[in-house]
Amino acid sequence: MALGSWSLLAIFELVIFITTFPLLAFGWLMGAKGKNPIRDAPFESGQTRLGEARLRYMMQYYPYLIMYVAFDVVAMFLFTWGLAFASLPFAQGYLFLVFVAILAVPLGYALYLSGRRDLW
Amino acid sequence: MVTQLQGLPGLQELINSVLKIITSRTFLEIVVFPGFLNVLLSAAFLTWLERKVIARVQLRIGPLYAGMWGILQPIADGIKLLFKEMILPELADAKLLMLCALGLMMLAAAPIVAIPFGEGLVIANMDVGLVFVFAVLSLFPSVVLLIGWGSNSKYSFLGGLRSLFQQVAYEIPMWLSVLGIVMLTGTLNLTEIVRAQQKVWFVIPQILGFAVFFTAALAELERTPFDLPEAETELVMGWMTELSGAAFMVGFLAMYTKLYVMSALITTLFLGGWSGPSIVPEPLWVVLKTFLVAGVIVIIRGTFPRVRVDILLRTGWTRLLLLALANVFVTVIMIWLGFGWVWRV
Repeated sequence: MALGSWSLLAIFELVIFITTFPLLAFGWLMGAKGKNPIRDAPFESGQTRLGEARLRYMMQYYPYLIMYVAFDVVAMFLFTWGLAFASLPFAQGYLFLVFVAILAVPLGYALYLSGRRDLW
Repeated sequence: MVTQLQGLPGLQELINSVLKIITSRTFLEIVVFPGFLNVLLSAAFLTWLERKVIARVQLRIGPLYAGMWGILQPIADGIKLLFKEMILPELADAKLLMLCALGLMMLAAAPIVAIPFGEGLVIANMDVGLVFVFAVLSLFPSVVLLIGWGSNSKYSFLGGLRSLFQQVAYEIPMWLSVLGIVMLTGTLNLTEIVRAQQKVWFVIPQILGFAVFFTAALAELERTPFDLPEAETELVMGWMTELSGAAFMVGFLAMYTKLYVMSALITTLFLGGWSGPSIVPEPLWVVLKTFLVAGVIVIIRGTFPRVRVDILLRTGWTRLLLLALANVFVTVIMIWLGFGWVWRV
């Protein structure tokens, strides 16, 4: 009986699920129950809770996220290039160096933007 | 026993087929050795190891009473947490929190499927093992953010946000640091990568990549010096603040499972996997090296201070990314100079 990689992964995840889920259910059923407004309040270092926690937070590090989107895709392309690298002739490898050098320019600009605090 | 069951041929067949499945190699691999029990026991052992090592660093003794040297302490903790009351904040999404704790555990253990623990001793010998492992690791931040959001508590949400930024920032250097290995071996299969290291481990030619990967792994694991998401003095316990009882146990176990998996990944990629003198069997080499790496990570937690958020992000994007790219260039030069044959399989 030969199973494919993904079916083996699915079986493994199933094993984790059927052993972990009862733990949670057991804890839910066996643990003490009770209602108390003070105990049920979210932890705020002993202070009285001030409204919900789902507020608007300032996205201070936004340029980093933009860089992530770009470099995530680039990294994936680099992997396909790296796989074939040893069997490529000299010229393609050389082209790659140029590509990375071009890549460094927007990276540097994004880092400059993220360093300028007045833009946040 | 056999004569008694002869009246029920269907039952006999059923028992036989169940026995056949239970004793099959695939089943044992999934449930016992590289699979489930290995992960669970190692994660429990790592909680003990961490407490003991940090206690030694701080001139304490650590757990002592449960079993020899307190080795049964994780089991005692587990039983205690199972019977604790699950206190969730009144506005929290209880179902979402439970689901996320469960999903965190399933995600944390998933990479072990592709990591080889010996020649042929791997649950699923994936051709894209490396990409699979990174894909699973990159799903973590979203689950963590969901836990922070679902708790509806300010500390939890801040911890979740910090975790998201940190893991996102350190993913790219982490990927690029293993690009050198992919170039040298020409494969993404983790078993093949270990086979390629039989002559020289990758920690020697890829020392720069190893340094970057190790640092990025610390950040991905949210451990000191990058443990901002659960900085105890600021955010109590980060995104885990509002988990309690069994949900906390599962989430905590998931974090230690991730530590084990990440150490196993470092072992596989850089420290030669199962290769070593044959005085010790192959799987034991992997486990020993993994615990060694995990021990180093734990000692770092005991000795290093915490860095600031902006320093963390800038270090990830400037220093580490540049170092990873430098590592790629060093590898390119190495292959052009003709050293590549050592690691070709």
